[in-house]
Order: sequence, then C-alpha cells, then structure tokens
Amino acid sequence: MKLVVLLSVGRHPVSGKPALPRTEAQAIRIAAELGASIGLHVGPDAFPAEAALGHGLDRAVHLACAGGPDPIGPLVARIATEAPDVVLAGRRGQGGEETGLAPYAVAARLGVPIVPDAVAIRPAGDGLVEVDQALPKGALRRLVVRTPLVVTVHPNAPAPLPYAFGKARRGSIERVDAAAADLAAVAPAPEERPYRKRPKMMRAAGGSAADRLKAVTGEATAGGAKILDGPTPEDAAKEVLAFLRRVGVLAPAGAGATGPTA
Amino acid sequence: MTRPRRDPRAERAAARTAGAERPRYDLGAKASASRRPRRDPRTEAASQRVPGAARLRLDRSQFGVVPVLAAHAPERPAEKAPPKPVIVENPDFLVLVAPDMAGGRLGEHDRQLFGAARELAGKTGATFALVGAASPDLGPAGADRIAIAARDPDAYDPDGRAAEIVAAMRALDPRHVLFAESADGGDLARRVAVLTGEPLFADAEQVSASALGRPARCRKVEQRSAPTRLVTVAADCVASYAGAPREARLETVELSTDRTGAAGAIVSARLIPADPATVPLALADFVVSAGNGVTDLDLFARVVAALGATPGASRVLCDAGLMPRDRQVGASGTVLGATCYFALGIAGAPQHLQGVADCEHIVAVNTDLHAAMIARAGLGIIQDAQLVMPAILKELERERGDRP
Ligand SMILES: Cc1cc2nc3c(=O)[nH]c(=O)nc-3n(C[C@H](O)[C@H](O)[C@H](O)COP(=O)(O)OP(=O)(O)OC[C@H]3O[C@@H](n4cnc5c(N)ncnc54)[C@H](O)[C@@H]3O)c2cc1C
Repeated sequence: MKLVVLLSVGRHPVSGKPALPRTEAQAIRIAAELGASIGLHVGPDAFPAEAALGHGLDRAVHLACAGGPDPIGPLVARIATEAPDVVLAGRRGQGGEETGLAPYAVAARLGVPIVPDAVAIRPAGDGLVEVDQALPKGALRRLVVRTPLVVTVHPNAPAPLPYAFGKARRGSIERVDAAAADLAAVAPAPEERPYRKRPKMMRAAGGSAADRLKAVTGEATAGGAKILDGPTPEDAAKEVLAFLRRVGVLAPAGAGATGPTA
Repeated sequence: MTRPRRDPRAERAAARTAGAERPRYDLGAKASASRRPRRDPRTEAASQRVPGAARLRLDRSQFGVVPVLAAHAPERPAEKAPPKPVIVENPDFLVLVAPDMAGGRLGEHDRQLFGAARELAGKTGATFALVGAASPDLGPAGADRIAIAARDPDAYDPDGRAAEIVAAMRALDPRHVLFAESADGGDLARRVAVLTGEPLFADAEQVSASALGRPARCRKVEQRSAPTRLVTVAADCVASYAGAPREARLETVELSTDRTGAAGAIVSARLIPADPATVPLALADFVVSAGNGVTDLDLFARVVAALGATPGASRVLCDAGLMPRDRQVGASGTVLGATCYFALGIAGAPQHLQGVADCEHIVAVNTDLHAAMIARAGLGIIQDAQLVMPAILKELERERGDRP
C-alpha cells in the first residue's frame, strides 16, 4: 500500500517552540507500519520534513515556497502525481488557525472520500481498507472504505514513535520548489487578541449555599422518584431490571447476551 | 486643613417649607442635597431578599440592585402555570441548527447549541432545527421551526448529511448555520464548509449577536469576528436556552440532494461499543457501584458482569483496598458521564454525589430509607444489598432459561 502523510509546522503547546503536531507523528507511525509512505510538507522551512524522518518515515518531500501561502494547491498537485492509496493527516493543526479544514479541502479537491478521527487502519484486500474511527465514550466505528481516501488521525491513536536522530540523518528529503501557479494567498485571519480565560460555565446556581450544593450534586434535578420500602428481594430484582431496561442500558429480556458472562 | 464652619441656623432656615403657618422643616431634603447619597438599609435589604423562600433570606451578593418589592408575595402558584410558547410568525432571518442528537436524544451540547442559536437569532430571527427525528425537547431547548431529514438517522453517511444541509441552506437561505464542535458535528461542519466554499468559524467559545470568539495558536490568542455564516460551537462554553419554550413548528423543506463524486465509497460501517469491563469510568455509560453496605464483592463482580456494566465503588471500599483506586466514584475519584448509575449500599455523601451529578437515571439499594442516595435516586429500594444481588442474578438466569 502506498501512503502519503501531510506534515505541518506546529507549535509545542507549552513551550511554543516549533514542533511536529502530535497527531501527525501518530499518523507517521500508522503509515510506516502499513507500507511505503512519504511525508509531504509545503512551506518555507524543511523542519517538519526532518522531524517526520526522525519519527519513522524514510522519505519526505518538501515543497518549498516563500511566505505562508495556502498549502492546498501544491499538496493536491503532488498527491495527484504520487497517486497514493491513503493520505493521512492530523485531526487539527496545532499552533496555527487550528480549524482542521485542510484535510477536507484536500479530499474535496482530489475528489476522494474523507474519514475523520481514525485510530487504526488495516488493509482489507482489493482496493479496500478497514478504518477504526474513535467515537465518544470509548466506542469505535469500524468502516470499510474504498481507496483512495483521506484519513485524519485522532489523538487516541497509538502513541508516536520516539524521535531518533540516526533515523532522521539516514532518511532523504527531496526539496522541490512549489509551482507558482498552485499557490494562493490565505484568507486574512480575523482580529486577534491575547487569550483570556473565562470562568467555567456552571449549572444553574441558586441563591443560597444549599441550592448551590444541590445543583452540584444533581439533587435539584431528582424528582418523580419511586421508593419501594422493604420489597422481597425477588420483587426488588424485577423492579431494578425493568427500570434498567426502560432507560435503555440493559438489553431486553430474551434479546441475547447482556454481558461477557451471558 | 480647614473645613468651612457649619451654620446650623442658616441650614435650618433653608430647609423650612414655605406656606405653613407653624414653622415646618423638611430635614430629609437637606440631607440628600449633600454630596453622598444617603443609604436606605430598608430598601437595600428588600432588594436582597430571595424571592419565594418561606423564611426570610437575604442574598448579600446582590448589592445596589433596584428593589423588587413586588417579589415578596409567594409566587409559587404563578410559576406552576405552563408557560405559553413564544411564536415568531414572520422571522426576519433564520439560524439553521444541525444538532448531533446521538441516539435521537438532545444532549447537553445540543442544548448549548440551541442557546447559541437563540443568542444569534434575537427577538426577530427564528431558529430552524434540521433533525433526524422529532423530539418533544426541541421546543423548550429553543427551536422555533423544525424539519425532519429524510435520511436514516442511524446510518453512517456524513456526505449525505452534508449534502442535505447544503440543500437546506439553498432552500432557506439562513443567516447562520450552527454545528456542535463534537466528533460528528465538527466533521459535518467541515464537509459543509468545503461543499459551499464558505469560511468556517470553528470551535467558537463566545457567541453573541455582535461577535464570535475562538481560541487559536495553542490558546495563546483569541480570534474575534462578526458572526459568520458557518459556525461550530465548543462544548460547555455557551449557556443553553433558558427562556420560555419555543414553538418548534414542523415545516417541510425541499432537501433534494444531487449526490456526486465520492458518494458510496463507504462499503460498510459497524459500531463497536466499548468493553464495559475495561472502559475508564469517565467514559462508561452504565456504572454499577458498591459501597460500604456491600460485603460480598465476588457476588458484586458477578452482578456487574451479568448486567454488562462498568464497576465502580465508593471511597470507603477504595481506601480499604477492596476495589482499585481508579474505580472510585466521586469528588476525589472520577466524575461520571454515565446515563445510568446503580448504587448498592452507598449512603450518598456529598463528595460521592458530586461524581454522579451528571447521571440521568439513578437506582439505589440501601437499608436506610433516609440515605441521601435514596433521595437522589429515580428508583430507590429499601432492602439488604446482599439479598438483592443474588436475586438479580437469579432473575437474569431465569429469563435466559425461559428462552427456548
Ligand atoms: C475530602 C473528601 C473527599 C472525599 N471524596 C470521596 C469520593 O470521591 N468518593 C466517595 O465515594 N467518597 C468520598 N469521600 C468520603 C465520603 O464522605 C463518604 O465517607 C463515603 O462516600 C461513604 O461511603 P459509603 O456510602 O460507601 O459508606 P457509608 O457511609 O458507610 O454508607 C454505607 C451505606 O450502606 C447502607 N448499608 C449498610 N448495610 C447495607 C446492606 N446490607 N444493604 C444495603 N445497604 C446497606 C447504609 O445504610 C449506608 O447508607 C470523601 C471524603 C472527604 C472528606
């Protein structure tokens, strides 16, 4: 399988120094385990390409251009000539605008589907790949998708391989000047000001301390309770199971296994 | 430092009210003529009074508020009347809302989304929700109009959903389109942004009719702009709508989509739920928890497995080393996001209840009728947990046995 990983210049969230965004390093790990993969970066400096080699790629392409232009044009042009099966990208940028639109724009320009938030990719034979997509609450969605496609990587994917200096030295970076025809100016950023932390939103707080305590323990929302005083254990069990089925956390009776032991 | 000398005689003469035969003095008027306004403790206390409480209660944080003397009468009966829905007959503009509605239910983030939409719509605009299935919660959440999408809400077809929203945008010409910045909502918003070629204001943390704000560059700066057309709203940043319920009038919208390009690339989609036995407590959907009232923990473990739930515990059991620390529910343990919580032999200390504040449904088994956990529960059972647990196992066993 042939893969391309899109690389960007990120900022370390604490120190603010240039760093490869973590999700892109995770994407490199997924790609390197799947097959021949190259990194692709558009921008003035080759730093992300070098970092990508250290994190596990053998080859990276640096499409050099001056200033900070819109990278989509050169990326799409180069991906079209490489014709990979899977294009991997981070979920959101880190240290820039952080809108997460670039992978979608690339997919739309290439006319291929995009699958967001992947944690694992496996080949599924004959122009198909199986992608595990992370969902809230620890669930997964397992998709079988036709290649070629664009996949963005979720932070829950396997941790990136550590940076290895020797590996970074051995890999090769191909430096090409981006074609001027592909470059477009980015839309101007909106007005910016220093970030100000705002107070966390609270549940509706009442006037008194007792009301606020009720709000934080959830007692204010309790109501319509059904209390059974001293039922036989059998009745109690029936009531509990019926309640759990009504709220939908327990499979209905006779609907098959409910738990690992069933 | 010299102060001008007061002349009481002249002051008194100035305060004399004209016309009366006997000399009369309005000394109150004189006092207000001085530079500092005179405090009136009585009206201040009245304005600080918490309305509705049976006992006199003053909220001292309310300082210098206009007195609301009318609030003194007990207002309970007036509040009980069901509020009339607010109707916007001819809205000046529409705010299209695309809630996630996972499982057909309106989540907390969806409600905040409607709060943001109402903020943008103001008095003259209307919010228009494009949902997979109607829900009675939509009106109280702040939806003026709703339309039901034709698509199967359970199928995974993000491109189809994006195309439908673009069709709705073409038919309704909304001023704003709002999405939740969640896994599915954020994905949908970016697809719509690419399809329409319009800029997306992603992850908005402040929403008002005049400006939107979002963090950028690793939360070092915040970007502000006038409200754009496509917006995604971050979780827990905007208050949900708290006003009178809205009309939620059902409308039909032409949602014909011309599906081209990458459609149909997804061959199959299968949902794999998290394994309840190993999922971290914070992510679990159904937690069964043991407290100091549970003595047989092997039995407890079997009940948890049979119910297909995630095990939890109160601090007493974790401190005693009977349950691992990562299973502790509460203020100093894990705050749950579960739908349902089943507490066995737990008293319901405030520190414990803080951990289950977000749980929608609570079942409690306790020998004490007056335990706080029973007061918080939707179903409370006053019985020995050691007897109820085997009964639950037996009941599940019997149900399985009943099946042919
Ligand atoms: C700073 C601080 C932080 C804390 N943080 C946490 C926290 O994060 N999480 C937490 O859980 N606690 C926390 N606690 C401890 C908390 O205050 C309580 O002590 C603890 O929750 C009590 O646990 P319990 O309900 O299991 O035990 P108990 O208070 O002993 O209650 C046992 C209950 O079981 C009932 N019972 C007894 N026998 C049976 C039976 N056979 N069948 C059925 N019911 C029976 C009793 O009626 C009683 O209601 C904290 C305390 C402090 C000071």
